[in-house]
Amino acid sequence: MKAGVFATLALTVATSASSLGAWAANSSETALKAGHEYMIVTNYPNNLHVIDLADDEVYKSCKLPDAFGPGTAMMAPDNRTAYVLNNHFGDLYGIDLDTCKSVFHANLSNVPGELARSMFSFAISPDGKEVYATVNPTQQLNDHYVVKPPRLEVFRAADGLAAKPVRSFPMPRQVYLMRAADDGSLFVAGPDIYKMDVNTGKYEVALPLRNWKRPGFSAPDVLYFWPHQTAQHDFSMLYTVSRFTDDKQDPATAEPMYGYLSIDLKTGKTSNQEFASLTELYFTGLRSPKDPNQMYGVLNRLARYDIKERKLIKAANLEHTYYCVAFNKSGSKLYLAGTFNDIAVFDPQSLEKVKNIKLPGGDMSISTTQVFIR
Amino acid sequence: MKHLKPLNNKAQILEQAVAQDRVEEVVAMSAVAGCTATTDPGWEVDAFGGVSSLCQPMEADLYGCSDPCWWPAQVPDMMSTYQDWNAQATNSQEDWRNLGTVFPKDK
Repeated sequence: MKAGVFATLALTVATSASSLGAWAANSSETALKAGHEYMIVTNYPNNLHVIDLADDEVYKSCKLPDAFGPGTAMMAPDNRTAYVLNNHFGDLYGIDLDTCKSVFHANLSNVPGELARSMFSFAISPDGKEVYATVNPTQQLNDHYVVKPPRLEVFRAADGLAAKPVRSFPMPRQVYLMRAADDGSLFVAGPDIYKMDVNTGKYEVALPLRNWKRPGFSAPDVLYFWPHQTAQHDFSMLYTVSRFTDDKQDPATAEPMYGYLSIDLKTGKTSNQEFASLTELYFTGLRSPKDPNQMYGVLNRLARYDIKERKLIKAANLEHTYYCVAFNKSGSKLYLAGTFNDIAVFDPQSLEKVKNIKLPGGDMSISTTQVFIR
Repeated sequence: MKHLKPLNNKAQILEQAVAQDRVEEVVAMSAVAGCTATTDPGWEVDAFGGVSSLCQPMEADLYGCSDPCWWPAQVPDMMSTYQDWNAQATNSQEDWRNLGTVFPKDK
């Protein structure tokens, strides 16, 4: 038994040593290289990894402050700062990837007595000067809670580690992913897709979803927690919808379908299109940067569709469930991430697996991978 | 409410509120996810009534559900109430034996 204990201790020491080795890469001397393509992803216990997409190896790992969850990360326009929603959906952090240092922090519960959470709901302005978060506050009183209306908080990136909102506006309820377009307007996913003026707080429906009026179709259902910053520079999500056979709208005879919606962040133009029958679930789907007519969806399988033909081209079985899909910029490689602590690299053409990138640390859970060029 | 049928007390109260044109007074705790009245079937059956679209293995989906308080009846709410539930099991595949059950604290 003692030998067993010593063996365990030795293993612990060895593990700690190798972990320390990994943390040594935290240091500021491992800055990112200009012009190089990288991917970021977060995982338990609270790491932010940078993967070099030239060799698909972990380039460096930064230890994040406070607690993990959800670890949703997005890159700032400077391609150097990663913003991470973390600490159980309660705080926003900006991390300088060159130094691993925190350069921005906003506690989203900034009103006394309130506990606020953001459901994956943050965005960065196109000039990188402002950070937006939708918070859902609950006022905690002695004997009961009061659900307060959600609001948009606008932070100045330059306010650093003690950022407080500089503007605040009422938001629709049930808001989650957000992205800022190149003209500065904020697109917000909720019951519908809203377009918001971040200076006045005025918003309008940019793309109706729950309230769309498409004859023969049900309202769409959207579950999307992964704000991919795509090579196409769009804000894109999958949805499911029922196509009815007649005006009776009988769910028993309706055809359940998958579609995607997209907001072009260069022009603000919105679009949506069905591309497949709903026969299995995908948590995320992205169009190929090489051929935007091809959609890749993932959950228990990696599936590739011809959008125009609404046809499954090919599907690959996976070693386990992955939540999110990403491409390198050229579209020559496809990455599956989320859930456990390995990223699977696939050839998007053949759907053959190329390798697994094992991350130091634990589960990625609902983290989002982001690809960028420094 | 055309295609939805209330199954539990909360859903019946919601239906009553709709009938009384008071649905705007029904406010869930958070946002689209996070301890809300999700109508997803759960871990037992997938959206098609089968099991092939359930996450595989189930551990792959564990923290994806506990982090955002997605199914608080099945897994502890790590967003607010049991934030340290997986502190000894950050790698769910290897450490799942360290996960325990949780119980509400005495008031």
